[in-house]
Amino acid sequence: MSLREIIQYSLWFLLYLVLQILILRNVVLFDYGFCFIYVAGIVLLPAEVNRTALLFMGFLTGFILDVFYNTLGIHAAATVLIAYLRPFWIQLQLETKGTTERLEITLSELGVGGYLAYLIPLIFVHHSVLFLIEMSHFGMIGYTLLRIVASTLFTTLLIVLIQLFSRR
Amino acid sequence: MVCVSYWFMLQLVEFFSRNRNFIFFVLLEVLSFWLITQSNSYWGAKYFNTSNYYVAKTLTLSNSIREYMHLKDINEQLAHENLALNEQVARLKELNPVQAPAAYTPDSVFANRFEFIVSKVIMTETNRTNNYLTIDKGSADGIKPGMGVISATGVVGKVRSCSEHYSVVTSILHSQFMVSSRLVRSGEIGPARWQSKDPETISLMDISRYKKVLKGDSAVTSNYNSVFPPGIMVGTVKSTKIRPDQTFYDIDLKVATDFRSLSYVYVVQNRLQTEQDQLLKPIEEERQ
Repeated sequence: MSLREIIQYSLWFLLYLVLQILILRNVVLFDYGFCFIYVAGIVLLPAEVNRTALLFMGFLTGFILDVFYNTLGIHAAATVLIAYLRPFWIQLQLETKGTTERLEITLSELGVGGYLAYLIPLIFVHHSVLFLIEMSHFGMIGYTLLRIVASTLFTTLLIVLIQLFSRR
Repeated sequence: MVCVSYWFMLQLVEFFSRNRNFIFFVLLEVLSFWLITQSNSYWGAKYFNTSNYYVAKTLTLSNSIREYMHLKDINEQLAHENLALNEQVARLKELNPVQAPAAYTPDSVFANRFEFIVSKVIMTETNRTNNYLTIDKGSADGIKPGMGVISATGVVGKVRSCSEHYSVVTSILHSQFMVSSRLVRSGEIGPARWQSKDPETISLMDISRYKKVLKGDSAVTSNYNSVFPPGIMVGTVKSTKIRPDQTFYDIDLKVATDFRSLSYVYVVQNRLQTEQDQLLKPIEEERQ
């Protein structure tokens, strides 16, 4: 990773955080669709990032979000989980694709299908952990599942939209 | 023996270095879940939440963005707050020695706060979308815009504008005029509003369909009114309808006041209104 890339990714990361904390924190679609776009800051990093660093970043991001959401630990747990799963998931994708070259996770490089196939499961796992931990009692399971699905779609949609409008 | 323990150490170190990411991951997860269970701890409650100075500052900024996005909701909240305030005013106004504790001695000024000015109707209309009345008392007789107007049989309207000897009254048969009404027997409260059709019928809205509403029940001005004294007749329930896609009844009230034959009305002056307003003013300012 060149210095230029590091700065670029850091800025993106910051943008996602600011977007999340300042605006999306207050956006809820029809009581079900939440958006946690900050996940993109972890998920869209290049494949070569050191795993330990990734875990640490995941924890830090989650922790910052937790402070802002008053949910100490929940976002951290979910984000660390996807930060851990991500390298395996990428490896799996590479194997099916049959390439071993350096991989940047962008819309142009993966194609829409590949991009979504990469993104949605990770986001789904993240949101599932998030909402299931938050769920106070089991009676809310249907409601929670609906929230997970709606939020996954919402987050994915927004990430794709932002990708479409960025030159990366 | 030394050799075995050395070998064992080596294996251990190798195991850790090979699985350091997994171990780190488990540690972080354990830490996260520990935080979740500890979220009520002292330092968790003191520093790592939105009462933190910097976090709160950031959220203030976020809130200003939010305010633009949610002006409608905020308005609604304010309206509810107003409603609650009005209710409070009405409760303050309530003078009911029957319910009051024995030690309560009603203030005579308060008890006589409503003053009525009798006035003759010189013009009335019922066929337009927005109807007005003209009465023969004006600012010289102490009438001011905003005062309520009632007749012997029920609610009439609200003073809109005054000249020296005349006043124009917005009738309740006005598409924009709403009277908060209470059904006497069921106790349900909702706004009554004219639908610009039949001058004898007015609609009562926002009564939940899951409440029981009796035909023939009287609707009177509720305590939420600021212009009318509570308990003035608005109408009687003529018919109730339920549409399957609505959560509220469609209730038609027969208007208590016959506007076509209206001749004398009473203008309601609440002598303590200004006093009351002044009382509420600091609260309003405080809430801003």
